[in-house]
Amino acid sequence: MNYISASPALLPARAGVGFKPEHFGAIAADQQPLGFFEVHAENYMGAGGVPHAQLRFLRERYALSLHGVGLSIGSPEPLDRDHLARLRRLCALYQPESFSEHLAWSSHGGVYFNDLLPLPYTEETLAVVAAHVDETQTALGRRILIENPATYVRFSQSDIPETEFLTELTQRTGCGLLLDLNNVFVSARNHGESALGYLASFPLIAVGEIHLAGFFDASEAGAPLLIDSHGAQVADEVISLFEWTIEQAGPLPTLIEWDNDVPDWPLLLAEAMKAQDRLRHAERGYARRLDRRAL
Amino acid sequence: MTSVMSGVAGDFAAALRDPLVTPPAMLSAHAAPAASTRFCVYRNNVAVSLIGALEARFPATRRLVGDEFFRAMARLYIKAQPPRSPLMMRYGDELPGFIARFEPAAEIVYLADIARLEAARTRAYHAADAEPLELSSLAALDPENFARLRLAPHPSLEIVESAFPIVTIWASCTGEAPLTAVEDWRCETALVARPRLEVEVRRAPPGAAAFLEALARGMSFGEAADSAAARAKDFDLALIIASLIGGGLLVPADGVKQMETIHGYLA
Amino acid sequence: MSANTSLTAAALAGAFAAALSLIASQASAGPAAEQPGKDKCYGVSLKGHNDCAAGAGTSCAGTSKVDYDGGAWKYVAKGACDTIKTPHGTGSLMPTKS
Repeated sequence: MNYISASPALLPARAGVGFKPEHFGAIAADQQPLGFFEVHAENYMGAGGVPHAQLRFLRERYALSLHGVGLSIGSPEPLDRDHLARLRRLCALYQPESFSEHLAWSSHGGVYFNDLLPLPYTEETLAVVAAHVDETQTALGRRILIENPATYVRFSQSDIPETEFLTELTQRTGCGLLLDLNNVFVSARNHGESALGYLASFPLIAVGEIHLAGFFDASEAGAPLLIDSHGAQVADEVISLFEWTIEQAGPLPTLIEWDNDVPDWPLLLAEAMKAQDRLRHAERGYARRLDRRAL
Repeated sequence: MTSVMSGVAGDFAAALRDPLVTPPAMLSAHAAPAASTRFCVYRNNVAVSLIGALEARFPATRRLVGDEFFRAMARLYIKAQPPRSPLMMRYGDELPGFIARFEPAAEIVYLADIARLEAARTRAYHAADAEPLELSSLAALDPENFARLRLAPHPSLEIVESAFPIVTIWASCTGEAPLTAVEDWRCETALVARPRLEVEVRRAPPGAAAFLEALARGMSFGEAADSAAARAKDFDLALIIASLIGGGLLVPADGVKQMETIHGYLA
Repeated sequence: MSANTSLTAAALAGAFAAALSLIASQASAGPAAEQPGKDKCYGVSLKGHNDCAAGAGTSCAGTSKVDYDGGAWKYVAKGACDTIKTPHGTGSLMPTKS
């Protein structure tokens, strides 16, 4: 099946949910009050079967975000051309409203680690990542979004703050950003910094999507450590960051990510509806401020 | 490509793969926990996600040996054969071969074959779609032409031959059949396929594997029947046709293309 | 080509006819006897294995040094293999290698 359209639309500024196959029956039973679904691109790289049948079903009814987790854009090694070709085919087939990847690496020396690994932020790494984003955008023929990572360690070589690194990346490549607010909170806590301070220097103008998720608290006495588990409800602190962000930037496409200990569909949908309420509220406030500015 | 980053990724990767390798020195932490503890989060993520992928793909194998044995074996497999592709759906293709050479599992003689069957199931799950041939669509065919039919195995089909009753054992480990001692201990060949959307596992009747292999080599229906009859004892063509066509395991030889007419797939 | 095959057209036609009645009487073998296409929910779903979540914790599966040092393998299979008795006893068909 082909989904060619003249100009790919953008994701709507509404709540969406990361699709889990176990929810398909519940999702298919009714039209869901959601703006979009997001899937991990690599899970749809088989030739056929249930995954594609389900993705076709979703594509026909909802806006779609393809989220890559395996391109290893932050690697010093050349991008995997075969993988890039698979992504290109998937984008051509499903014409997603958005494609996003991570500021991270996951492959080295031919081994794939199945995790999003951190990189030092230097002039040198910035040049490599920018070249990789450029190559990806050229291969896919579209602007992509790059997501800020959750990190547990830093590198002594790093001499550029993450927000500056991402800002510079958008300017060099024209890419957009996926702002993961759980990652912002997790990283800030892990590195003893202010999440709001991070957001204040984040280029909100470039944000095309927001991610919300739950974390796991692995802290021990005197040693705070949060882990980006995607296995719980969105924490209150992260909700506050969300409210602050959409008040500043206006409503944005917002995804609930829940990948571990996945709840039943009604609970996941309820979590998305809470985000939807906040988006609606922000939209009204944003519109009022625009009106005042117009006067 | 670049000096700093290559060194970082190389050291990081080596320490991820082996807990006996010290985490890279250039990691920093502003306060407790120490950088080496923080590094363990990544090591843990890699191990947990890869073990989880193998557990999900090989549930019957896991049930046969128990969680503790399976997890410990998975850790050794991951170290010996880490993923080479970002497509996790393929990870574990080599686990059956690893098990066959894994001394602590040698006593469970059928374990590697159960893993082969399970690996085939995942491949079938993701294989290309193709509309199976319906027996009724052959009703209009002149019997003179049966021998010249050009058919092929469904693209999802894999034949798993074993010296053990693997279909019976697999079924009893997945809840498809009760878990009991196997009364009728004999070799079984499994046909693993996904004719439409469900992956199905069938016992192959005698000669079916030889017949399918002959079709896959491009032989006509009649040639394949002759070839299989010569190779298999207890060859029963009616049973084979019923099993293969009834199970949706055959497609017209021109593959995924829908047949226009009955003559479209005559040789 | 059909002239070279030893099974006659009549034998093949007979096999097809017999197969048809076998299918009609649902006699085909196999433990999985699902009706194809019965499930409107697009079949049984397997979990997708690529995601961007982290495993919770720092000390479990990933960080233990046990099993990596090439020492003695200490695990014993304790699962359904105890129940599946072979003609030669639990879990084994042939004499165990020592």
